[in-house]
Amino acid sequence: MPLDVPAIRAQFPIFRRQINRNRLVFLDSAASSQKPQPVIDAMVQIWSNSYANVHRGLYALAEEATEAYEGARVKVANFINAADPAEIINVRNATEGINLLVYTWGDQNVHAGDRIVVTELEHHANLVPWQQLAKRKGADLAYIPVTDEGLLDMEVLPQLLEDGRTKVVACSVMSNVLGTVPPVTKIAEMAHAAGAIVVMDAAQAVPHRSIDVQTLGADFLVFSGHKMCGPGVGVLWGRRDLLEVMPPFLFGGDMILTVKRQESKWNELPYKFEAGTPPIAEVVGLGAAVDFLTEIGMDAIHEHEQEIVAYALERLSEMPALRILGPGPTLRGGLVSFWMDDVHPHDIAAILNEDGVCVRAGHHCAQPLHDRFCIPASARASFYIYNDKGDVDALVAALQKVVHLLGRR
Amino acid sequence: MSHDLYREQLLDHYHNPDNYGALENPDIDIEVDNPTCGDQIRLTARLDVEGKIAEVMFEGQGCVVSMAASSMFTGEAIGKTPEEIASMGLADIQEMMGGVKLSMGRVKCALLSLNAMKQGLQDAGKM
Repeated sequence: MPLDVPAIRAQFPIFRRQINRNRLVFLDSAASSQKPQPVIDAMVQIWSNSYANVHRGLYALAEEATEAYEGARVKVANFINAADPAEIINVRNATEGINLLVYTWGDQNVHAGDRIVVTELEHHANLVPWQQLAKRKGADLAYIPVTDEGLLDMEVLPQLLEDGRTKVVACSVMSNVLGTVPPVTKIAEMAHAAGAIVVMDAAQAVPHRSIDVQTLGADFLVFSGHKMCGPGVGVLWGRRDLLEVMPPFLFGGDMILTVKRQESKWNELPYKFEAGTPPIAEVVGLGAAVDFLTEIGMDAIHEHEQEIVAYALERLSEMPALRILGPGPTLRGGLVSFWMDDVHPHDIAAILNEDGVCVRAGHHCAQPLHDRFCIPASARASFYIYNDKGDVDALVAALQKVVHLLGRR
Repeated sequence: MSHDLYREQLLDHYHNPDNYGALENPDIDIEVDNPTCGDQIRLTARLDVEGKIAEVMFEGQGCVVSMAASSMFTGEAIGKTPEEIASMGLADIQEMMGGVKLSMGRVKCALLSLNAMKQGLQDAGKM
């Protein structure tokens, strides 16, 4: 069923804003998404009516807050079909989730001479922590390369796995630059056969389509609430049996059962990994975001974005000055990165801003990927539930202004 | 386009920059980049017998602000001493660019050539 974009947009207060007397055409949800009133209300509700610290309180308010906080955890677990809410760890964002893994699982399981496999597609969040772990441990960091079309070169993976040294394969479920959707389940199959675990960066996937961790193949998966209409929190999901044997990341209150002078005992999952007072209202807000998106329907959202991105690719291909990065419409998620021969992405973004069109310019936290394509930067338009074909038309019209103003004379 | 930043003067410098290229046997030869957005320039300069900047050229790729500012800077820097360069800042560059108001995101771009010159002078032991 097609999305009723005007009705959806009406639920986001920010779309009342004008930029230079233009309506807001927000095409940067891949960086962070806008927030609907129900999410804002859920947080304000906690702060106004049910706020107290969670887990330890023995009065009504504390019980309400705890119920709301843990209730959100259950919502998130159901959203990705996790077997158990205890497998949902609340973190600050996807980046923190991966760091948590690297400092616990990574530290425990990666040793000198081991190999960590990443891809050329990776966002710095799923690259730099592994890179630094490899340095610390004297392990090898190897890359699955990207083809000129923007797809992963799957021929390379078996070669990397065959000597049995690989401990972990870290890969993106959707590229935040190329939109590429790698065959992650296939990757997981191959990695598991070779004795490696798989860590998936689902920051660009969970907000945009239905994800089922029972069938995806990941051992660990991260995503960010702020990219899915939620506030600034994130989630690390992990298989229970793996989480059970990992040491804690941060130490302090709430993650302990008992503390003696010289030793402590850790709390059970998920609390072992949630030290200190959590961002209570924000986690509740994430639960509200899950409700909001579930009501629209993840399959409907995915279908909608596929339609918009196909239309965008069609219209953008009409502009001879534009070079589009990444694969064709059937092989990609809802974003397009591009550059122009004679115009710097920074100027593209600045001129588009004049018309209320918000795109991102730079390397999008993927410098190695930009190096591979020999460009210093690109511009990126990303689509979400509040975008429609009219937004694509506005993008193209503004890009035509860019060509007119800055194109080769 | 009524926007300040993309007015005729800056666009002229962007499309037809002054002193574009590289000096042979320069006293100053420095490459800098702005990794945030991908601007990069190479600045070469010659000093006269009094140690003042006598000639400046630049080459590189970048946004309108970084390229136009660099082009203007090659003229602006002539006759200045290293000390005068050291004391130049954002206000001077904005004035050089005709009093344009630079947003936060554009400041680094505008300062690229000035920062290159400062770095180059430092590296050459002149500052």
